[in-house]
Amino acid sequence: MQGTISCMRNYNMNTVGESLRPLTLKTQENGESVRTLVEENAVIVIGRRGCCMCLVVKRLLLGLGVNPAVLEIDEEREEEVLSELEKIGVHGGGDTVKLPAVYVGGRLFGGLDRVMATLISGELVPILKEVGALWL
Amino acid sequence: MGDTSPRTSVSTDGDTDHNNLMYLCSLMKGIWVLVLLILATVQRVKWIKRLAQNREAARKSRLRKKAYVQQLENSRLKLTQLEQELQRARQQGVFISSSGDQAHSTAGDGAMAFDVEYRRWQEDKNRQMKELSAALDSHASDAELRIIVDGAIAHYEELYRIKSNAAKNDVFHLLSGMWKTPAERCFLWLGGFRSSELLKLIANQLEPLTEQQSLDINNLQQSSQQAEDALSQGMDNLQQSLADTLSSGTLGSSSSGNVASYMGQMAMAMGKLGTLEGFIRQADNLRLQTYQQMVRLLTTRQSARALLAVHNYSLRLRALSSLWLARPRE
Repeated sequence: MQGTISCMRNYNMNTVGESLRPLTLKTQENGESVRTLVEENAVIVIGRRGCCMCLVVKRLLLGLGVNPAVLEIDEEREEEVLSELEKIGVHGGGDTVKLPAVYVGGRLFGGLDRVMATLISGELVPILKEVGALWL
Repeated sequence: MGDTSPRTSVSTDGDTDHNNLMYLCSLMKGIWVLVLLILATVQRVKWIKRLAQNREAARKSRLRKKAYVQQLENSRLKLTQLEQELQRARQQGVFISSSGDQAHSTAGDGAMAFDVEYRRWQEDKNRQMKELSAALDSHASDAELRIIVDGAIAHYEELYRIKSNAAKNDVFHLLSGMWKTPAERCFLWLGGFRSSELLKLIANQLEPLTEQQSLDINNLQQSSQQAEDALSQGMDNLQQSLADTLSSGTLGSSSSGNVASYMGQMAMAMGKLGTLEGFIRQADNLRLQTYQQMVRLLTTRQSARALLAVHNYSLRLRALSSLWLARPRE
């Protein structure tokens, strides 16, 4: 059984116009691929396909000047991907992951709640700089 | 004939008759005059009586008319009051249905329940702000001010909790802003106010700020603006997505395939509507975070003044709404 996960990287820093180059990964094992994506990207947003909240997170990060990788999951794949993500968690596993989820520096950062809270409190930008998602 | 003899009472028969006749005539004349006089008097009395009766009747008629007009005025007043009550109830989202639709009234109950809770919260807030103002004026200690300021922030948290519960019931009532006064609705964004606008408001009133504070407040305002924009774009996306869902698929004659696709579309649309609750929650979360950060960046005294500035602004908006609602209409 071959699964298709579409992964989009935004290369354009301009929030007004983004050029999206979707990468289609054909994988045998979903889980490995998800883990790889999380580990390979400084910032990755994982959400359901067509989810509006996922878009909000994405726009927020774009607005800060971050180029997050975005992983959109189909409904059928959701459980699989979630179980794999739970293995990655901050403390090595056992966290319940709610979508949309943001992973920073290979670790679970949180959902829109946490992104918003850290943005307002001023903690977000230093964290992003730390993982190399932001320069300046 | 120089008859100097005095007249005697003895006169001739002819003279007596003549005198008697004359006397009778005079008497009759007298009686006649008397009768006339009596008649005249009677007439006059009757006339006076009639005048009095007329006057009385007119008076009674005036009283009756006055009573009638008074009754009309009372009814008119009552009608205006009822109209106003109806208007007020409508504005507060109560569904006024003449047919007594059950399904609508349950949603109306949720909206009404929230409106009641919100009114209570508003009263608490007014009391709290009076307390804060008094404390500031009486040069209370920072520690005392701190307690009230923290209480105010906790009170906002309470409001957002109330809204979160209400959103589960009737998210559209919250989004409609019908629980707010008209002028406040001018500035409605995702079921409340914009934090970025609030910060602009207080930044002007908070002189003097240290350079670091100015910078920090500015950053806070920018961050909240960014968050608001992101949420707005999410909402636009939701709207577009909903429109796409409802307008897609085949129209036309019903077949099992069409019915299935219709149901599928509806299910998807229902899912999208369900995300609105999340949007309100995030917007309220943003509002709370902004308040909390603002208080962190300012001194206790400055925080107190900032909260009062926000409250006074809101009072003005509400006063404006009252004026607007009471304005004379052609």
